[in-house]
Amino acid sequence: MTTPVTPAETRAVAVPPAASSAVSLRGLTKEFGGTRVVDRIDLDVAAGEFFSLLGPSGCGKTTTLRMIAGFNDPTSGTVLVGGEDVTSTPPHKRDVNTVFQSYALFEHLDVRGNVGFGLRRKGVDRSTIDQRVSEMLELVELGPRAKDRPAQLSGGQRQRVALARALINRPKVLLLDEPLAALDLKLRRAMQVELKTIQREVGITFLFVTHDQDEALSMSDRVAIMNDGVIEQCGTPEDVYENPTSVFAASFIGTSNLMQGTYAGGEVRVAPGLAVPVPGLTGSAEGDRLSVAIRPEKIWMSDFAPSMVQVPGTIVSTSYHGATTQYLVSVATGITLTVLEQNLPRMRADDRWAPGDRVRIGWHPEHAVVLR
Amino acid sequence: MSAGRLERKPFLAVAVTVAFFAWLYLPIVAVALFSFNSAKSLSVFSGFSTRWYSDFFSNSALLESLSASLRIATVAALGSLVLGTMLALGLERITSRPARAVGAVTLMPLVTPEIVTGVAALLLFTGVGLKLSLSTVTLAEITFSIAYVTVIVRGRLGSMSPEVEEAARDLGCTPWQALRLVTLPALFPALLGSGLLVFALVFDDFVLAFFTTGVDPQPLPVRIYSSIRFGISPAINAVGTLMLLVSGLLIVAALLLPRLFNRKTSSLDLITGGERR
Repeated sequence: MTTPVTPAETRAVAVPPAASSAVSLRGLTKEFGGTRVVDRIDLDVAAGEFFSLLGPSGCGKTTTLRMIAGFNDPTSGTVLVGGEDVTSTPPHKRDVNTVFQSYALFEHLDVRGNVGFGLRRKGVDRSTIDQRVSEMLELVELGPRAKDRPAQLSGGQRQRVALARALINRPKVLLLDEPLAALDLKLRRAMQVELKTIQREVGITFLFVTHDQDEALSMSDRVAIMNDGVIEQCGTPEDVYENPTSVFAASFIGTSNLMQGTYAGGEVRVAPGLAVPVPGLTGSAEGDRLSVAIRPEKIWMSDFAPSMVQVPGTIVSTSYHGATTQYLVSVATGITLTVLEQNLPRMRADDRWAPGDRVRIGWHPEHAVVLR
Repeated sequence: MSAGRLERKPFLAVAVTVAFFAWLYLPIVAVALFSFNSAKSLSVFSGFSTRWYSDFFSNSALLESLSASLRIATVAALGSLVLGTMLALGLERITSRPARAVGAVTLMPLVTPEIVTGVAALLLFTGVGLKLSLSTVTLAEITFSIAYVTVIVRGRLGSMSPEVEEAARDLGCTPWQALRLVTLPALFPALLGSGLLVFALVFDDFVLAFFTTGVDPQPLPVRIYSSIRFGISPAINAVGTLMLLVSGLLIVAALLLPRLFNRKTSSLDLITGGERR
């Protein structure tokens, strides 16, 4: 017989949370009817950080957020907010606030009533509430709409009310569940910039859930890529883009030329006549099957440097995208690479390649990233 | 004139519609009109008079019945509102298979012939030895009306994002405070609408009241029915017109009250399906 282990004891064995972390998850797991939606997640979000959970729908990112907010109980694992275990604390006692995807505004209250709601629940005195609501409306530029009902506001304005209503409580962490998803593209871009500015201004930790890679890359200090309930990779936007560690990470963020091959003599042999050098690779033995990825914009079609890997190929198709032109280049039997070229000022239409042209393409060896 | 058949005025459709509304409302107009007849005749209008109204207001038995009906309708509206709303909240939250079955069963009173409900209620009350009175009528009416409240409130709940209540919890509300401060105010038009609807239905309900009432005092519709057996008096027209007025006022109230509270949707929209958004 083994002695029963209390949850507290199991936690003590796990990695201790960093002292400065706003949110720490330890072995966080959620099952719905036997399906594991979130699978033993460990995560530390530093205080003041803009952190994104990025992944396709159904990857478990929203469920993770809901467990931090307290709307879903974890099947196992621990949620710490500001170093304090809140795993079994009800939502209204947690020092976190949420911006919901649907905004979830209180339609029977005006903008002021919505924004001041949390402070009234905390029993803050009326004059302080009035003052802080005014400050917050100033911050989200909604001062003139203070007396309006949510139904009278536009989508972008409703979004700001939802943000102000959560931020005014100065939570340890602000949780944002795809808050921009309902806005049209132009407004979304504007709100991305604004959200980031507001976050810097208030200095509150933002935990942002999105399926939009542009959003995650452009706004975040760090990004965690989630897939099938696990975190595939976590790092700065540059890090996860430039050095993806998994096939999923490489293909979910941006586009990648993914190739499979056999490791031999410092190269991955992808096809007869095509080998991709992978200098400095450790931990792989001769004959291992490996995946290697090269970003389309890292492949050049002219001005090669001597250190670059160069391969001959044939243009299969071209498509013009305004700022860039995308080429599909056949380099070996069954291997077609996507190449993205900037349309520089010196280039005229007849400077660009046409289907059937014989070309050379090249890349710096360090831009071929090995995935496991 | 290149327009085809579709652009011609639809005379037939207009004629049918006019005939339909005439068929529907002319008898009611006649009742209202003859309640102001100075003679006792129900076919010849001989002059304007309010004598039948004075008749009614000096008839203590009818007045007592009116007061009984108003009390029954008020208590039934409040009772079914509380129970029906609780049921709607429960059914909306519990999504298990048994709960869905219960949800289907709550709709039964809407399709059960009222006479069956009436007989069943009568058998139940006499079976358990309850003396038939206004209380038994009220009990039967509440039972019958819960379904209306549940259907209307569930419709409103279903159109509300569950995130709204979560937002309340997120902002520091206990579950009870979230219900009181956010969910119930959001349900207000549905609550008002279903309350007024139940009041109007119960106020002039005859079948259920007939089966479950005691001897004295009787609800107004039952009283009217009994008095008709001794010959039709234009006073009945006066009573009918008054009841029409009460129902009409209720509908206007259902339309206007939410607007007074500065809401965009009136409670009638929920019943008529005219809700915006």
